[in-house]
Amino acid sequence: MDLLLRNLSKTYRSVLRGRVEALRSVNLEIERGEFFVILGPSGCGKSTLLNLVAGLEEPTEGEIHIGGRLVARRGFSLPPKDRNVALVFQSYALYPHMSAFDNIAFPLRISGLKGKEIRKRVAEVSQMLGIEHLLRAKPAELSGGEQQRVAIARALVRRPGLLLLDEPLSNLDAQLRQRMRVELKKLQRQLGLTTLYVTHDQTEAMTLADRLSIMKEGRIVQVGEPIEVYRNPADPFVAGFLGSPPMNVLRRKVRRAEGRVWVDLFGEELRVETDRDYVYVGVRPEDISITGEGRFPVELVERLGDETLVHVRIDSDRVVVKIHGDRDVSEGSRVSLRARRFRVFEV
Amino acid sequence: MRRILLGIGAALSLGFALLPLVWTAMVSLAEHPDFLLRGGLSPTFDNYRDLFTSEDLHFVDYLKNSLLISSLSALLSLTASFLCAYALSRLSPFKALPLLLGVLGISLFPQISSAGFLYRIFSLTGLINTYPALVLPYTAWSLPLGVWLMHAYISSLPRDIDRSALVDGAGRLTILLRIILPLSLPGLASTYVLLFLFCFNEFLFALMFTVDYRTRTVPVGIALFEGLHGQIPWGHITAASLVSVLPVLILVLFLQGYIIRGLTGGAVKG
Repeated sequence: MDLLLRNLSKTYRSVLRGRVEALRSVNLEIERGEFFVILGPSGCGKSTLLNLVAGLEEPTEGEIHIGGRLVARRGFSLPPKDRNVALVFQSYALYPHMSAFDNIAFPLRISGLKGKEIRKRVAEVSQMLGIEHLLRAKPAELSGGEQQRVAIARALVRRPGLLLLDEPLSNLDAQLRQRMRVELKKLQRQLGLTTLYVTHDQTEAMTLADRLSIMKEGRIVQVGEPIEVYRNPADPFVAGFLGSPPMNVLRRKVRRAEGRVWVDLFGEELRVETDRDYVYVGVRPEDISITGEGRFPVELVERLGDETLVHVRIDSDRVVVKIHGDRDVSEGSRVSLRARRFRVFEV
Repeated sequence: MRRILLGIGAALSLGFALLPLVWTAMVSLAEHPDFLLRGGLSPTFDNYRDLFTSEDLHFVDYLKNSLLISSLSALLSLTASFLCAYALSRLSPFKALPLLLGVLGISLFPQISSAGFLYRIFSLTGLINTYPALVLPYTAWSLPLGVWLMHAYISSLPRDIDRSALVDGAGRLTILLRIILPLSLPGLASTYVLLFLFCFNEFLFALMFTVDYRTRTVPVGIALFEGLHGQIPWGHITAASLVSVLPVLILVLFLQGYIIRGLTGGAVKG
C-alpha cells in the first residue's frame, strides 16, 4: 500500500485548552492510486492528520509509512521535502510576490532543475489544468478558482507520490465547486495519483472518494466505500453526518412480551434484536413515505422543485421526510408515516 | 458650517505642527535672530552658506558622520531584527511572548544606566571617538524597536506560506530569503526609516563617546556650535537643523514606494 498509518496519535499543549488529543490511535491503509477521503466536522483532527503525513508536525505516538518507507514515528520525522508528498492548502498559500509561473516552478527550482526542463514541466501541468494563459499573472490578479488551479498545478508539477488536499474546494462558490470536483476526480484518475483528501463536506466525500473514512474527536469511526458507509453507518454520528438531509435518528424504548422484541416507530411495531432497554432507530428521509392523513403534525414544508422536504413532529422528535417531486402537503396538516427501511443502533 | 469648522480645525492642527518649523526657517533666513526688533526680515542665505563653507563649524563633517553612523547602525539593527522577528513569529505564542516582553523590558532601561559602563569599555578598548563607539550601542539600543516592528509585520504573513514552501522542498533559509524577505520589504522599509531616525536623533551617547568633528554627529555638533563672542549663533543652529531634516526627508520619499505597497494581497484568500 502507499500510505500506512499505525496507531497514530498526536497530543498538543494549547494555551487556552490545555492538553488536546487531536488524534487518538488512528490506523489507516491507503492503496496505490486510491482516492481516499477523510470526512469529519471541524476540529475532529483531520487537518492534523494531513499535517502529520506531510511532515509539518511530528507524531506523539505511532508510525507513518509512505510507499513502504517509514517516514515518521515518535522522535523521528523525515522533513517534508524528503517524503515526496504535495499538499494543497485550503487557503491555496500561493506566494503573492511571484507570478503563477514562478509559483508553479518554485518546487522545481528548489530541487535544482534547469530552466528548459522547468519550462517544459510547467507548460505540461498548466496545459492539463487549463491555465496556460494565466502564467504571467500574480496571485492577487487571479480569481479564487484560478488561484486554486495554480495551487493544484504547483502540487502536481513535482509528480509527487502522494497528493494531500486540505479542504481545497471550500473557498469556491457552489457552482465552481461542483465543476472543480469533477475535474479533480478526472485528473486524479488520469494520473493514477494516490490522493488523501480532507473535507467536512459530505457531498464532496460521497462523489470523490474511492473509499472514505469518518472521523470524530480524533478517532476514525468508520472506513469503507461511500455507498456502503451511507447504507450501513456504524453509529448514529456517521448516520447523522452522511446524506443531505441527514438520517433521522430517534431514541426508542424497547418492549418485550411473549418472546417478541420490538420498538414503536410512527405507530408501527418494528421487530428488532437487542438486549438493551433503549435503542436508536435511524431512518433515511428518502426511506419514509407519507401514507395519508394521520396523527403527526406537519411543521414545515421545504419545496426544492425536484424534491420536497417535509418536517413532521413525532412526539418530542422531529423527522424529515424527503419526497420526490413537488407534492401537495400543507403545513399544519396531520399525516401518517411509514418507514420502508430502517437501521437499529445499540449505543 | 461643518466644512468651515473642519477647515478651521485642520488649519489649527497644521499650524500647531508647522509653526516651530516656520519659525526656525525664518530665523535661519534672517540676518539677525532678533529681526522682529530690528524692523523686519530681510532674507539672506548667509547662514546656509556658512554651514558649507566655514571650516570652524565642521557641519559637513557632522552631517557625514551622522549619515554614515545612522545608516550603518540601522542596517545592522534591521538585519538582526528581521532574523529575530522571523524566528519569534514562527514560534508558538507561548514561547515567543516571554522573549518579546524580555526584549521590551531591556529597552525600558534608561540610556544613562549603561552610558558610564560603555564609556569604560570603549576607553579601555580605545574606541572612544571612533565610529564603532556609536554604531555598536546604536545597533543594540535600537534592536528592541526593530524586533517589535518586524515581529508585528512578519506575524501578519500567513504561516501557510511557510508550510507550503516546506512541503515544496524549501529549507528554512530558502524560505527566509526567497519568500519572507521579498514579502517583508514594505515592513523592512518603514522599520529602517524609524531605526534610522532613532539613531540620527540620538544625543547622549554621541555626546559622551565622541571628542571632535571626526566622529561627532549632527545633534551634538549643533548643540556645541559657538558664537564669536560666546553668544548663541541662532542663525547657524536653525539653518543646520533644517538642513539635517533633508536626509531623513529624502530617505522617506525614496522608500515611500515600498512603505505604501501592500505586497501580501492574494497570498491567502479570505
